[in-house]
Amino acid sequence: MTALRAPFTAAVLRRAVFCLVGVVSAAAILAVPALVPALGALILRATGGMSRQPAPAVAPIFLVLFPLTVALLVVLAAPLGRVTGGMHRRLAGRLLGVHVDAPPPRSSNRLGALVADGPGWRAVGYGLLKVPLAIPQGYGLFCYVLGPVNLSYPLWWPLFRNHPPGTRLGPVWALTPFGLLGTRTFAGTFLIAAAGLAMLLVAPWLMRAGTAPDLAAMRRLLGPRRLAERVRELQASRARAIDDAATMMRRLERDLHDGAQIRLATLAMNLGMATEKLGADGPPPDLRQARELVALAHRGAKDALADLRDLVRGIHPPVLDNGLGDALATLATSSAVPVAVSVDLPDRPAPAIETIAYFCAAELLANAAKHSRARGVGLGVAGAGARLTLTVTDDGVGGADPDGPGLAGLARRVGVVDGRMRVHSPAGGPTRVEIDLPTHA
Amino acid sequence: MRVVIAEDAAMMREGLVRLLTDRGFEVCAAVADADALRSATAAHLPDVAVVDIRMPPTHTDEGLRAALDIRRDHPDVGVLVFSQYVETRYATRLLADRPTGVGYLLKDRVADVADFVDALTRVASGGTALDPEVVGHLMRAGQRITGVASLTPREREVLSLMAEGRSNSGIAAALVITPGVVEKHVANIFAKLGLPSSDTDNRRVLAVLRHIGG
Repeated sequence: MTALRAPFTAAVLRRAVFCLVGVVSAAAILAVPALVPALGALILRATGGMSRQPAPAVAPIFLVLFPLTVALLVVLAAPLGRVTGGMHRRLAGRLLGVHVDAPPPRSSNRLGALVADGPGWRAVGYGLLKVPLAIPQGYGLFCYVLGPVNLSYPLWWPLFRNHPPGTRLGPVWALTPFGLLGTRTFAGTFLIAAAGLAMLLVAPWLMRAGTAPDLAAMRRLLGPRRLAERVRELQASRARAIDDAATMMRRLERDLHDGAQIRLATLAMNLGMATEKLGADGPPPDLRQARELVALAHRGAKDALADLRDLVRGIHPPVLDNGLGDALATLATSSAVPVAVSVDLPDRPAPAIETIAYFCAAELLANAAKHSRARGVGLGVAGAGARLTLTVTDDGVGGADPDGPGLAGLARRVGVVDGRMRVHSPAGGPTRVEIDLPTHA
Repeated sequence: MRVVIAEDAAMMREGLVRLLTDRGFEVCAAVADADALRSATAAHLPDVAVVDIRMPPTHTDEGLRAALDIRRDHPDVGVLVFSQYVETRYATRLLADRPTGVGYLLKDRVADVADFVDALTRVASGGTALDPEVVGHLMRAGQRITGVASLTPREREVLSLMAEGRSNSGIAAALVITPGVVEKHVANIFAKLGLPSSDTDNRRVLAVLRHIGG
């Protein structure tokens, strides 16, 4: 019974729509390679290149146009692949209930990132693969649509038998997978109806068989990277994390060695000298110098404390324990440029993520103050689901280089937890840096 | 006594100049890096050079390398290496060819002005001054050597002070005992370590140090 009911469920209808879209998009994809040379020929014809004596201007125009077209195709292929890939993914989700995760977004919108966009090119690969994949889908769809049509032949037959007797009629044709069936008799229409029934019953299975490899290809080509690539990416980010930790420890050692430690040693020396000037007992041999040395030591102690305080804040700002909102507000008050802070976090992210977000914000604010000549900076954190976005905008001169050491270092640190950074900073400004982080690493 | 100072942290350098001038030393030059130290030493030929290990440009061990160069090129100049941490390897390298006119102290030791000045004077006049930290490391490393384990705690104290470069009278003062008792301890130590104890010269003690420090 299920086999009989199968063709009439909503699920099969949706699958049929999916197959239909698949066939249409395969046709569209096939049209692209035909379109480009056709366009070329059209241009040649329009410019007179096809004539016996081509105008002298034609060859140079063609020489420029041709590589330009190729370059344009190369640049546009990956972004287009992403767009159509996203469409197919959504279709699969909506019509087939198969959800394929989106690939990671592009690292930036620069030309290099546009062309060297792995997920984009994989989506292009999927598009090309769609052509052969659509053939079995089309076949299933054909059975699904023409099955009921053939099945209904016995119903139509009497409607068309109203002509005068003795008229010689051509056979009635029906398209089936077993070839073109023709009949001149009412009984013959039942044969066609039987073929139609078979087509209708088998269509859901055909479409299912046709979409299965498509879905497999989608998971592979439209989803996140494959495991091996992911492992490589994780290895690289782990190596970066270890490097960063080692660099941080070295910097910490340097800061302590050259800062607080030397201040304390000097302080001890001054106190030692002061002790001598005060003498062991009796009236001090040199009270004036002793006073001077104690004052020096006092100042040294305060400097050492300030040094240590800065260092401690650099390791982990205590205010971060109260949450990212408080920490960013505190950070904003110490900025040289006025900062407008907006925080919208439904839940508290993991401490490690808060720390990363804080230090990114600190560095971006420092950058804005140092390089942008901005009059105001906007600092925003917004959480949605399992991701949060840190946005730093300024109305400065722009021209921030995402590949420069500062921003590249930030991108690296963010990448360790699968975060992404997008920099939009045209010359002349304004600058907008977006950092997207998971709320839990 | 004439001194050259090489220290990259300005406030420490100024403090040292002040301290040593105050104590009657003549500070010929106070410089901030190893190359300046080499040329200042060659120019002034001081009695002793105070050298920070970590200095620009690499902030690793350029001070130590300069110190070794000075010991090679100017054998009469004492070298007091001066650092915020002690490395036993550095100590053994400094003592390697000739354990005279050399010192290795933690910067913390400047806090005890008298001890520091005493150590500097010792190095300037061809003696030795090793930081108790360095000696402690060497002694711990020397535990496995025959004889060291059989020393009494008092003998160990005496050995440590000897290794720091102190004279018998200095040891006596530090431990509040008579020089005669110190001499008896020293004789026992030499006997237990199986070293000839014919004289009580510091060099002999440094031989001990090298013996246990490897």
